[in-house]
Amino acid sequence: MSLDAVRSRAEEALRGVYTGVEEGKGFVAFRVPAERVVEAAEALKSAGFDHVKSVTAVDRPKEGVIEVTYHVSSYSDPELARGIVGITVSLPRDNPRMPSLSRIWVSAEFQEREVFEFFGVVFEGHPDLRPILLIPPLAEKHPLRKDFIVKEEQVYKGGITKLEQPP
Amino acid sequence: MSTLRSREARAGPPEEGRLYVGNLDAAARRARELLLGKMKLGKLVDWGTAFSLWPVHFTTSCCGCEFAATWSPRFDAERYGALPWLSPRQTNLIVIEGTVTKKMGCALRLVWEQMPHPKFAIAMGACALDGGIFYNSYNIVRPWEVVPVDVFIPGCPPRPEALARAIVELQRLIREKGVASKWIEEGEREDKPAPIPKEDLCSWWRG
Repeated sequence: MSLDAVRSRAEEALRGVYTGVEEGKGFVAFRVPAERVVEAAEALKSAGFDHVKSVTAVDRPKEGVIEVTYHVSSYSDPELARGIVGITVSLPRDNPRMPSLSRIWVSAEFQEREVFEFFGVVFEGHPDLRPILLIPPLAEKHPLRKDFIVKEEQVYKGGITKLEQPP
Repeated sequence: MSTLRSREARAGPPEEGRLYVGNLDAAARRARELLLGKMKLGKLVDWGTAFSLWPVHFTTSCCGCEFAATWSPRFDAERYGALPWLSPRQTNLIVIEGTVTKKMGCALRLVWEQMPHPKFAIAMGACALDGGIFYNSYNIVRPWEVVPVDVFIPGCPPRPEALARAIVELQRLIREKGVASKWIEEGEREDKPAPIPKEDLCSWWRG
């Protein structure tokens, strides 16, 4: 019930911009082309969605895309605070670049830095695009991409394994 | 007059075994020889250090709860003379409570360098031993690659008794091996030198 109001407000703001809608529990996401994402963000901001709750990304190597999702909501409008609206952008995996939304929503600034270091998405126009959680040589490897391989757990097959001992 | 002259005459050339205060350097050297050589001041230093192990807070993970419980009234680790302190400059023990990420490894080494010697380290929990559940993570360091660790506590997380036991073990280590007095005498710890981390952990910090 409450999500319908949020959804209709967001649909009204994004009319003509979005290309698809996905809906979950308490959550509705609008798919937006990368070149129109600033326009969509400004429309949502003027409709009352005043902050970004999270910026996240999904790596889909088979389709060759990285999907960046902004979750926005509102503090000032109690009606809009009942649901979360997402903007999903698909970017090419070999050169993921999109305009930064941290000018429009300031709370996106650090989270865009996180997506930058973990997925390698470059946000054009970001005021300070540096790694935030990882050390710089590690951030260049983009550890949350699917092609970053971590050491797997092995099955113990008996015998004495040689471990690296602390000095 | 006669007593004064006789005292002057007795003074004569400097004698072995007496303390002269005219030359401060010589007097200090002599006092050090007397105290450390004959009166076993080293043992006094070890005894004093063992009962004033002040740990600095370095809570990186959930083991910090057990650390807090150790100093709560029930387990009361302050009876061993250990008092948690905020500033690393007034402490001589660091309890590494849990996972240390690469960026935190830089902070760990910086805190360690700020502490005055003789100083000791306790690694607490499975994560501090060998990574724990984050054993294959790309973003952790083993604390023993960053600072020289004296006592390891296994467990996930260890009980407060285990941490109290580690403090008692460290006290035993200091008093039996004379770690603190040797460290003061020689100026560095030769049996456990500070390791050099494999990679540059502080590159982010210099910009």
